Amino acid sequence: MTTLRYILRDMWRLVVHHWVLGLLTLITAGVMMWILGVTTLFSLNLENLLSRLESELVVQAYLVKDNTLDIEKTAAKIQALEYVYAMKIYSPADSLAKLQEKMGSQSRALDMLGENPIPYNFEIHVHRAEDVEHLVDELNAMPEVDDVVYAGLVVKRISALSRISSRIALVMFILSVIITALVVYNTIHISLYSRREEIGIMYLVGATRAYIATPFVLEGTLLSLLGAVIAAAGIMGAYFPGVTLIQSNLPFLRNSIITDRAVIFRFCALLAGFGATLGWVCSYIIVARFINSITKPE
Amino acid sequence: MNITFSDVTKTFEPDITALSDVNLNIEQGEFVYVVGQTGSGKSTLLRLITREILPSAGVVAVGGYDLRRMRRADVPYYRRDVGLVAQDFKLIPSLTVYENIAFVMETMSVPKKIVAERTKDVISQVGLWRRRFMRPNQLSGGEQQRVAIARALANSPSLFIADEPTGNLDFHTAADVMKILFSINAAGVTVVMSTHNQNIVNSSRRRVIELENGKLIRDEKGGTYTG
Repeated sequence: MTTLRYILRDMWRLVVHHWVLGLLTLITAGVMMWILGVTTLFSLNLENLLSRLESELVVQAYLVKDNTLDIEKTAAKIQALEYVYAMKIYSPADSLAKLQEKMGSQSRALDMLGENPIPYNFEIHVHRAEDVEHLVDELNAMPEVDDVVYAGLVVKRISALSRISSRIALVMFILSVIITALVVYNTIHISLYSRREEIGIMYLVGATRAYIATPFVLEGTLLSLLGAVIAAAGIMGAYFPGVTLIQSNLPFLRNSIITDRAVIFRFCALLAGFGATLGWVCSYIIVARFINSITKPE
Repeated sequence: MNITFSDVTKTFEPDITALSDVNLNIEQGEFVYVVGQTGSGKSTLLRLITREILPSAGVVAVGGYDLRRMRRADVPYYRRDVGLVAQDFKLIPSLTVYENIAFVMETMSVPKKIVAERTKDVISQVGLWRRRFMRPNQLSGGEQQRVAIARALANSPSLFIADEPTGNLDFHTAADVMKILFSINAAGVTVVMSTHNQNIVNSSRRRVIELENGKLIRDEKGGTYTG
């Protein structure tokens, strides 16, 4: 306990001694953590939107008109395909009724057709948009299937958007982490370098390497944590007004945006924890290397 | 704490031999002057004892421990038993006199109250209590040297290493510093002090170890030094 008190006091001395540098680190870490948080939240919301769109994507498979065809067997065969998430069977009568309902007052035109032209068909849902193309290929290869209808272009665009958004989020994440890590690393390095003589003296008069290193590691962790907490507070403060604005201007996105306060709070807590961990790792690496080199006997 | 040098050689890159085949033995409670011209190897000898450097060949043993074999993690614990006074004082510039001295005890997790008592004792012993809140750059050379001595005394070491402690001091201040060192030695602490001050060596007649170009050329009890 006594040692901890001394170490915390020494850490505070370091923070006060290099307050300008500390402030700059705090601001930079805060900005980078904010960018990291906003990018991740944007990505999560986009992912939410895309998965909603994907869940609404439907592949319609029409069977050949053949009275000898075993519908149950064909349904089981399609259900067994790798990319099928859910499936619904429509009989010709069901399909016609559905069509009539869709057409409303113009449904009388269907009566002119005489015999119901719609064969048995399946409405198939997939896990992901990128699965659609594979599923369509497999369905087309089945002799029982006469025709496959799906929103080809939409599928391609959603798949592409999903891929791009994931990549952008990953790049932004890596960039934010690298920049934050470099800033913390640099601050602690400058802090150590400006006190290298003192560190040598401390070691010479009996301070252990851990005793010397801990205040520096805590300094880096504290600055990074505070930066992340400021960023998290900024995100918490700006997110919900932003969501309200988007929902009032783009009502079709209403159900695709994360609005659960508990989820956002947990996300911000995670961001703060990540900031502290990042600061600790960076500081630990530089402090360990620096103190090792300075305390090595010739 | 006794010190033994067995066939100790120390070379520095690219090809500088600072010490060559030095053999000596210093017993617990002795007061030893290490004398010689600048560059003779005095500081190297002392830095080997404090384990700031390691011998290129031979064995340096302190209190029976071979310093080369000492684990790096054990070095701080060893140094807590070695009081060090350097010519350039080696005080932490950002700390006050009080904090510089308290620091060595704080590294050992000594409770604050005991740190305060002991710090007061040693600062008073070197006559600097009124200057305890000053930083090293606000003190004279002699005062800084006394702070360094107080710091070295704080842990009640068994061995006291002083590298030219009077080198930057005037005659009277040097005499004050020597009084402190003799009193430390009188308490049974081994003192090894490097100097090229003839007056100091000749007035006290202690054991003298003389180095020349890294070689031990004289080891004399009650010796003198003519420079």
